[in-house]
Amino acid sequence: MEPLDLDLDDSEIKLPSEPMLINVGPSHPAMHGTVRVVMELSGETIERCDVQVGYLHRGFEKMCERGNWSQVFPYVDRCNYVSPMLNNVGFALACEKALGVTVPERCQYYRMILGEMARVSDHLTAAGAMAMELGAFTPFLWMMKGREMIWDLLEEETGARLTHSFGRVGGMAAPPTDGFKENSLAVAEHLLGIISEVEALLYGNRIFLDRLQDVGVMKAEDAVSLGWTGPILRASGVPYDVRKADPYLKYGEVDFEVPIGEHGDSYDRFVVRIEEIKQSMRIVEQCTEKIPDSGPVNIDDPRVVLPPKEEVYTTIEGTIRHFKIVMEGLKIPAGEVYSYTEGGNGELGFYLVIDGSGTPYRVRIRPPAFLNTGGLEMLITGAMVADVVPCFGSLNMIGGECDR
Amino acid sequence: MPTFKLDDREIPFEAGDTIIRAAHRQGIDIPHYCWHPGLSVAANCRMCLVEVAPPPGRKPLMLDVVRWDHEKQDYVREKKPKLQPACQMQVAEGMQVFSESSEHVARARRSVQEMLLLNHPVDCPICDQAGECRLQDYWLEHQRSSKRMHDEIIHMPKAQSFGPTMVYDAERCIVCTRCVRVSAELAKDPVLDKRERGNLGEIVLSPGRQLDHAYTLMTEYVCPVGALTSKDFRFKARVWFLRTARTICVGCATGCNSFTDYDPRYDKVYRYRPRENLEVNKYWMCDEGMLDYARIHEGRVLAARVAGKTAAYDKALEKAAKLLRRVDPDAVGVVLSAQHSNEDNFALLTLARDYMGAGNLFLSGKAPGVGDDILRHTDKNPNTAGATALSTSSPPGSFADLVAALEAKKLSHVLVLGSYAADPALADALGKAQGIVALATHEGPFAEHAGVVLPVSSWAESDGTFVNAQGLAQESERAIRPLGDSKPGWKLVAELGRSMGYPMSWKKLKDVRGAMAPEAGAALAGSGASAQQAGVTG
Repeated sequence: MEPLDLDLDDSEIKLPSEPMLINVGPSHPAMHGTVRVVMELSGETIERCDVQVGYLHRGFEKMCERGNWSQVFPYVDRCNYVSPMLNNVGFALACEKALGVTVPERCQYYRMILGEMARVSDHLTAAGAMAMELGAFTPFLWMMKGREMIWDLLEEETGARLTHSFGRVGGMAAPPTDGFKENSLAVAEHLLGIISEVEALLYGNRIFLDRLQDVGVMKAEDAVSLGWTGPILRASGVPYDVRKADPYLKYGEVDFEVPIGEHGDSYDRFVVRIEEIKQSMRIVEQCTEKIPDSGPVNIDDPRVVLPPKEEVYTTIEGTIRHFKIVMEGLKIPAGEVYSYTEGGNGELGFYLVIDGSGTPYRVRIRPPAFLNTGGLEMLITGAMVADVVPCFGSLNMIGGECDR
Repeated sequence: MPTFKLDDREIPFEAGDTIIRAAHRQGIDIPHYCWHPGLSVAANCRMCLVEVAPPPGRKPLMLDVVRWDHEKQDYVREKKPKLQPACQMQVAEGMQVFSESSEHVARARRSVQEMLLLNHPVDCPICDQAGECRLQDYWLEHQRSSKRMHDEIIHMPKAQSFGPTMVYDAERCIVCTRCVRVSAELAKDPVLDKRERGNLGEIVLSPGRQLDHAYTLMTEYVCPVGALTSKDFRFKARVWFLRTARTICVGCATGCNSFTDYDPRYDKVYRYRPRENLEVNKYWMCDEGMLDYARIHEGRVLAARVAGKTAAYDKALEKAAKLLRRVDPDAVGVVLSAQHSNEDNFALLTLARDYMGAGNLFLSGKAPGVGDDILRHTDKNPNTAGATALSTSSPPGSFADLVAALEAKKLSHVLVLGSYAADPALADALGKAQGIVALATHEGPFAEHAGVVLPVSSWAESDGTFVNAQGLAQESERAIRPLGDSKPGWKLVAELGRSMGYPMSWKKLKDVRGAMAPEAGAALAGSGASAQQAGVTG
């Protein structure tokens, strides 16, 4: 080793060193869900990293092949478990596409309202957790309060806060409750209030802005190549939202905007989500005006919808219909179908291979979180360790959806 | 081959065929209840109605009907073509029949189905037919709506005992008269008949009689609904839990083709059903054969025994090998089994004749029983012909010959595959043997008197080939896994042979069949095809 006093100037002394390998392990408070990131650090900078997912793989797609079509709903619930209604609705729409039926209007608006509430729940969780990991506990708790209101509403409607299994092929499990419209509007009003308070607290905060702006920049072309969809794609400037690009349900008939970012950094990803919450509340307000107050929620197709219980107990046709659906499964005609909706994280797709018996032959879920997490390596390579947390938080990787 | 058109498809037919029979030959199903390929035509259910285009140059026969019009809230007059029952209408060359493609036919099927369900009780949860019921299947396929009657259904007698084997429920009955025709035409005993008409129609027994002929379970088999249920199977198992194996009935030498329904979770066989084979049993089986499945689980030897006490399989195998090794092969009587498959018998023959050099062959099985000229054979063993044909050089002696040889001290030991003495009266003479090694499936005289008993799997636990009285070699599929410590006969014999020091290297059934083939020809090796003559020397 050279003597230390030779060539000594005020610049730093080069010491021989090796990169340090650390493991931000699957069990980590800042790793939303379970993801392992093995990093090679040089000082604070990440030279290389390896993102390993799959710790929450539960074999959902294979399990679907062991039951009926209606038994898939609890599985898809537990994919993106912070916006389960969007998964339910997406899968129900896929089955209905295969059947070639459209649910009644009342059901479409019902699905939209509940779906947007679920989307808001997803964005509140993502944004709130991101803020909290930067040290902002207060906005996090305010957003959790908002999320609790949404979950109270969903519990009133479906009976469960999170894993409702409320969707059905051909409709929903139950019609809207009596106070649904008033409750939805009240929740929307409260949420908008909470969001404005959060904005006031965060958007002027030096620390918040410094930690997020120009951190984890993803260019639009790269985002598209990676297969990104959803808020993070829009934050990079690509205006793709399935609700606008290929409207389903009644999204073509309500007014709302799709926030697009400019810089593609973590700050944009945060703001896009906050703006989307406001737009979702606009959709909810419009849908509550348009939803019919009476009328059927389910289509009346005896192949897929269970009959009312009084009929099952008193008529032979009701019993046979119930028997066939429960024991043999829904008879969806054979074929293949790909149906996609805007999930909380992006394009949530279901590719169904149907063989005509009551059991799915293959259910392939296109998990937006999986493709989004594929970009993590690119985002954090070259960044500092401290940037990993907000970058990863801004991707909103939901373990259940990424790994299934 | 003359053809006719069914829904734009050319269907060939034979002279005298009806539409439904010609379609059935091609695997096309026209919905029906009362028609059965093995019975006469009744045409009372009207489910198979199809639209037949009029012959060239003639106008179609149109009927005046009224139809309820929702908009006008009144009946309107209409005309519809007269539909023909496909089960009764004879086919002619060039005929045009519309089944799936006709709207009138769809409406007719819906209406017939609605009518059949009009007074049907809500019994699905307790009815055995659920899961294999035509009313359920056709409702989903053809009706899919509720009925328009809002009154209470007509109540009829339920759960009547019709005889020692059957229970009849008049509410579920659609009076298709399949059971009446089966009793009259198959069993030649017209004990059932239809009474009353309309919604009071039901099936009754002739006065003073019971449903007690030898084919009563066939009435349950043909019944498309849950009106006739067998006392043996009632409430035992739900059919959607059962898997099916294609087997041969081992109740007698007729060798009826059957389905064995078993629950794979518990390795339990719940029932037989007849399998169509126009050369052997047509569509039917007798009661004795249908109920023979109980023998798979009852009276079984499932553990090895030494000197009457349960022993570990390996120990018993060792003991048997030692015993047979030190005995003079000419003093051993080798008993083949008319109850066991060709493969099992071939294995024992190979061990005895080719390795041990024991040439004294005998054949035992069940004693003869009651036969008739419908299906039942007096020989109650499924494979007499096969076992006899395999031991070609010296036809095997009978059980009586074995007893005589034992009493004359010409034989001192017995190596037996099987469980039954063909002459039960002489069975006690087995005690005269110095040592018996029994490869047995069931308790019986051989298992009782044997020094070493090795447990053999039954016919339901292994694939096997059986040659029936007509000389047809038929293959039976395995249903359940070997019960207890039992092993398939051929496998057990191979292990015994290896234990005795002989190079019997068979590990799989196809090894055994491969060894049989050059000797016995394709027929006995059971390559899956039946052959005409099985009396092949080898």
